[in-house]
Amino acid sequence: MNSTAQKLETSTPIDTSCYADVTDAIRKEAARILADGTVTAVVGYKAGRRAGTTMPAIVTDPAEAGGLIFSPACVNNLALYLTKAKKDVVKKGRIAIVAKGCDMRALAGLMGESQIKREEIFIIGVVCAGVKGSGAVNSEPLTTGNLARKCRECTVRTPEGADLVAGTMPSLPELTPVEALEMARLEAMTPAERWAFWKEQFSRCVRCMACRQVCPFCYCEQCLCDKNRPQAVESTPRPAGNMAWHIVRAMHLAGRCAGCAECERVCPMEIPLNLLNRKMALEMKELYGFEAGLAPQEKGPLSSYKEDDDQSFIK
Amino acid sequence: MCDHGKNIYMPHLATIEAMHDETSDIRSFRLVFQDEQVRENFTFRAGQFAEYSAFGAGESTFCIASSPTRKGYIECCFRSVGRVTDALRSLEVGDTVGVRGPYGNSFPIEEFYGKNLVFVAGGIALPPLRTVIWNCLDLRDKFGDITIVYGARSEADLVYKHELKEWEERSDVNLVKTVDPGGNGPTWDGKVGFVPTILEEAAPAAANTIALVCGPPIMIKFTLPVLEKLGFADEAIYTTLENRMKCGLGKCGRCNVGNVYVCKDGPVFTAKQVKAMPQEF
Amino acid sequence: MSKMITEQNLRLLIDTLVKEGARVVGPRQAGAMTLYEPLTKGDDLVLDQLPRRSAKEAFFPVCETILSFERKEGKTTVQDVDVCTVPETVLIGARPCDAAAPGILDAVFSWDYKDEFFLERRRRTTIIGLACTKADDACFCTAVGLSPAEMKGADLFLTPLEGGGYACEAPTEKGERLMARHPQLFDDAGNAKPLPLAEPAVEKLDLQKIKAWLDGNFESPLWYGIADRCAGCGACAFLCPACHCFDINDEGTADKGERRKHWDACGFGKFTNHASGHNPRDIQNKRYRNRIMHKFKYYDDKFGQTLCTGCGRCIRHCPVGIDIYAVIEEINKMGARDQGPGTGKD
Repeated sequence: MNSTAQKLETSTPIDTSCYADVTDAIRKEAARILADGTVTAVVGYKAGRRAGTTMPAIVTDPAEAGGLIFSPACVNNLALYLTKAKKDVVKKGRIAIVAKGCDMRALAGLMGESQIKREEIFIIGVVCAGVKGSGAVNSEPLTTGNLARKCRECTVRTPEGADLVAGTMPSLPELTPVEALEMARLEAMTPAERWAFWKEQFSRCVRCMACRQVCPFCYCEQCLCDKNRPQAVESTPRPAGNMAWHIVRAMHLAGRCAGCAECERVCPMEIPLNLLNRKMALEMKELYGFEAGLAPQEKGPLSSYKEDDDQSFIK
Repeated sequence: MCDHGKNIYMPHLATIEAMHDETSDIRSFRLVFQDEQVRENFTFRAGQFAEYSAFGAGESTFCIASSPTRKGYIECCFRSVGRVTDALRSLEVGDTVGVRGPYGNSFPIEEFYGKNLVFVAGGIALPPLRTVIWNCLDLRDKFGDITIVYGARSEADLVYKHELKEWEERSDVNLVKTVDPGGNGPTWDGKVGFVPTILEEAAPAAANTIALVCGPPIMIKFTLPVLEKLGFADEAIYTTLENRMKCGLGKCGRCNVGNVYVCKDGPVFTAKQVKAMPQEF
Repeated sequence: MSKMITEQNLRLLIDTLVKEGARVVGPRQAGAMTLYEPLTKGDDLVLDQLPRRSAKEAFFPVCETILSFERKEGKTTVQDVDVCTVPETVLIGARPCDAAAPGILDAVFSWDYKDEFFLERRRRTTIIGLACTKADDACFCTAVGLSPAEMKGADLFLTPLEGGGYACEAPTEKGERLMARHPQLFDDAGNAKPLPLAEPAVEKLDLQKIKAWLDGNFESPLWYGIADRCAGCGACAFLCPACHCFDINDEGTADKGERRKHWDACGFGKFTNHASGHNPRDIQNKRYRNRIMHKFKYYDDKFGQTLCTGCGRCIRHCPVGIDIYAVIEEINKMGARDQGPGTGKD
């Protein structure tokens, strides 16, 4: 999806020189807070074997803090590692997390849902000029051509509410909001056309569950789609079950999804899942004036009741 | 012309001839194969298992709980804990189920000839030993003393209660039944205590004796040291591993413990074999 | 006399096979990626990238019906699936890492019980392999004993030539028959040289040393370090040419439905979960360990083969950057340290 849509503009380099400062600041802070006992572990990024790649890293020894980095490949939303879905990772104690501005939304959402407590985590915020989108070549620098779609519409390049913010933002080139344009295209479709679009997209789903497994909000101890008494969602990768699964997931994330687009990034079948989440966010805004944001909110509209709630959907 | 073999996933159809509620959530079936040839030719050995289907819900793995010496039917026993077992439970006498099998290895009963046998079972794990117990009782003169130590959380949780009574009344079987502390009602005439403790009390002699142990992992964990204390060698202790299975045929990849496929190389193992495996079961 | 086929004739071959009624499966554009899918014409074939999913699905589909059942007036009947209806298939454009895998899987699908769904498709499929002229930073076939020129598993093998077209070799009778049936499409090979082949930037690893280390290190801090970040999805297994675990489920109702066999993955928590709630692989580290053990030890113990062809898909698409080559490279190093040089398998 990225590659075609981004041909809209010519590719220009994005200034990521601040990432060296960010990296330096992460390392210093991680070493300090691990050494003085402020935290027991730091969830950050380290370099992968392949040049230009990174992976999540859980560092507990101050001596290993030097391995932490920040680069245009640091795309993962690490909030995943603070949820109970990863309870074998984060066992006890105070954890520090490296968070981009966009990742802060997931942290706020998890706080709002009482999954994490602000005082129990330490947030190393990082300024971010953007990360790479899927299909980007590892060895190439960050450009407007290989930038992740979510970064093209980013409004939180400098995180707020972190314990520390590393780095200073450079100025960025103008970016076309590729995903917003794609949303508008879908919105302009007739319901039948939209149905056909999603049917085609979901037909490719192999039910690898990567979308669920990387989602900071898919922390249910038992996912509805794994339940079989009764079975709500057919488990085989066929049209009926695939459609049911993705609709169930979209509904369950409505008003909760923090828009990190991790589900879309990791989908090996290139299903543009964030469009679905964005559509739900749009509905939530129109129906309830609600937006999942940067401040922890106790209850989303789908888990609370108000006399004046829109009831037009009840037919 | 197509010369392929048969579909290994095809079950035989069987009719539920009788059912019995062993406990509030455990039910046993007596099944008769619908195809006459299958009915006549279906053979199995004690310890083997099958995949039972409730069509529309799927397949579930249980041992064949009846003895191979009893011909014309097979029996199984299951607790309602999931989609398939719920569906099986909803069936009535006369309804159809699917049966694939028999699969897996079995207890080497011929090697037990001339020896004493001690059966140790807990809760719903009696069925995999019940097949051996009846097999041996049907060939009673081939074995020495037969001791059965069977326990459950409470009286209500004991399965095959009518057979416990039958074994109790037989002079050639020594049945020691027990319930966990607190699980005994006012009329309980058995022991009160956990299976390993009661086994230690009963203290069956280890000389020329084979022990067969089936139960929840926690019971097995505490029973093995007791048997060791009583003098049983690991080679003289048999148990079954009850891993999650789907195909039962060594293909689907989920039942392995290390490089051992429980569905093919098991489910019957000696304690010696179990100890040699990676401890991941 | 060795043979070659022009680019144009390769596409004509597909057209001809399709016309003859064969199912032709090959890499085809599907959005931004390619997938091994049935081709309707020669021009569908897209050979410039490694398809996102492996070619195993030509033999072991994502999901297939293994029987159907029906209940009428209280009587249940079961309908078998006739695997004889599997069409004659030509799998074209399979890279060495994809072409080699089905032959490795023959072992598990045919030991003792024979899975005819897989085996019949194997019998009825001719594999046209294609040498690789490009490798990316995730490719590691040469580390696990294959290579961009490896013909293992291919019935007909194509090597791209300078100036276009492909040199053709037929390592099997099946491949020879295919060439013999369409002689007009194959020319005598002239002096054209093969294009330089890909060179994956990896070390050749000692698989026996890796296995020997795994034999003795079921418990190792390694498993906890690597897999802490594993998210527990099935992306690696589902893209893998050699992963073959599956689930069986009924869909429909007791009155009418189908039993289906579909891909499953050892990375999922519910894969080994008992009905009682007990789970032998209760944490992700154990599940990841099983993945490595199955590929580099268990499958070797059972069938004498390694369950990895180095295609690199799991590396490219792991959501959290787990790199199986880095893992086995580390094991290889530890194996060498433990045993000293020159000792592998006894």
